[in-house]
Amino acid sequence: MGARVSGRGLSRALYSAGGSSHWLLLAPVVLFLAVFAVLPLLKVVQFSLTDPKVSLDNYVHVFGSGFYLKTMLGTFMTAFIVAALCLVLAYPVAYVAARAGGWIAALLLLAVAMSFWTSFLVRTYAWMVILGSQGPIVALLKTLGFQSPQLLFTNFSAILAMVHIMLPFMVMALYAVMSKIDPNLLRAATSLGARPFQAFRTVFLPLSAPGIVTGFSFVFIICLGFYVTPVLLGSPRSQMIAGVIGDHIEYSLAWGEASAIAVVLLVITLALFAIYNRYVGLDRMWG
Amino acid sequence: MVRLAAFAVALFIVAPMFIVVPMSFSTAISLEFPPPAYWLGYYRNYFTDPNWLRPTFNSVIIAAASAMITMAIITPAAFAMVRSRFRGKALVNLLLMLPMAAPSIVLALAYYYFLGGMRLTQTHLGVILAHVALSVPISFLVLAASLKGFDRNLERAAMNLGATPLKTFFLVTFPVLRPGFIVSAFFAFIHSFDETVVSLFISGRDAATLPRKMFDSVRMDADPVIAVVSTLLFSLVFCGTVVIAVANHRRRQARISRG
Repeated sequence: MGARVSGRGLSRALYSAGGSSHWLLLAPVVLFLAVFAVLPLLKVVQFSLTDPKVSLDNYVHVFGSGFYLKTMLGTFMTAFIVAALCLVLAYPVAYVAARAGGWIAALLLLAVAMSFWTSFLVRTYAWMVILGSQGPIVALLKTLGFQSPQLLFTNFSAILAMVHIMLPFMVMALYAVMSKIDPNLLRAATSLGARPFQAFRTVFLPLSAPGIVTGFSFVFIICLGFYVTPVLLGSPRSQMIAGVIGDHIEYSLAWGEASAIAVVLLVITLALFAIYNRYVGLDRMWG
Repeated sequence: MVRLAAFAVALFIVAPMFIVVPMSFSTAISLEFPPPAYWLGYYRNYFTDPNWLRPTFNSVIIAAASAMITMAIITPAAFAMVRSRFRGKALVNLLLMLPMAAPSIVLALAYYYFLGGMRLTQTHLGVILAHVALSVPISFLVLAASLKGFDRNLERAAMNLGATPLKTFFLVTFPVLRPGFIVSAFFAFIHSFDETVVSLFISGRDAATLPRKMFDSVRMDADPVIAVVSTLLFSLVFCGTVVIAVANHRRRQARISRG
């Protein structure tokens, strides 16, 4: 990170392809992330293996305990349900926005952008009001003669809010791919005798598959580590794995155990990212 | 049919957020909807209570600082990654994406140990350093995408006409890429401003950020000021997105009518 890079060296680095000057340009960010991303994560790995003593006990405990296995399985299930619901709900939005264009697309994308840029704490709070015991839904159910059900602090409320929060990502992943599908392909299919639905199923749906894979993987991976919304809205009895790690940081002093669960979550997440990167490519994520 | 479904889902996406607006004018202490009566008292509380104002200022300062540092370190990197080929590029790419791939709760634990060991927890600097790392992936992706679309013939033309490389950068490259820089910096700012999980565990009382304060007040279910903050934040987003959407739509219409 030389403070006095000569003008010539800098310009060579910016404009020429050869030499090793690219390392000069990469040095700041690489050094920064090595110190402030890689080292801290290695510290977690170190704690998981050395606290309270050097052993694999923490991992044996994590994989041997019914509680952790149940939590992990539950987290996978929840992430899968959220990603699947997001896909089903987002597909028509992205489809109509990509095919209709004009003010219809503008309006749909505006709705998505509004939600995307709103802090998810604001969105989580909104769901607390809506689903709360003094909220509009419970009031409606009561006037319809149902006895007031518990909506908030259940798996239902956590999943509903997570779907709502992740929907914009899914729509954008789908829209990025769908907006590049040539409409002439669909016209060709119908002019060759395909019915509209047949044309959709055999032409449009397969071409939109990269968006489906990207959106689904992204939402699934994010949900595996979701902390805020499940902690605030979910059932305290069936926490997700991130919530369990958070409880350890706040209330217990079992650093080794907390670190071991964190390492397991980290490895699963990075492995999924690596698989995604291998088969789709991370740069595809943004259309 | 499909259009109806699309609009129904779009309604599901936007409608729930509007409930924070009436809540912010409510007199109720708990989450009562519809509100029993309306007043402005909680707005006065927000604008006079240091327990809310301090986290707000902290968040603005931390987000501005981390956006600046993020841009300073990713800009040269984006040029190197887009414009040259070299051994180890794939590895650098993975390193750049690491903070996005790692779950935020794991990073929170990591910073809790690591910054704690350096006595940087509960300081602005600690939160800024963590937020820079977290903002790198998204800001880098945005900037690299705009750099990929840049026509390098513009630079060649400038240099052919006798501009020095630095002059070329400031007179040609940077002005053309300015929208990309602005969007990238904006992503870094918002990413830090909205970041909750890491701040929750490392910012302490002194460097507490607004999301941390909001999280605490939602969890304690005690402070109706959260509705005011939510309404203010949502209004900013509402106005910003509507203005941009209208401008985009107008520009597209103009292009169509011009043929």
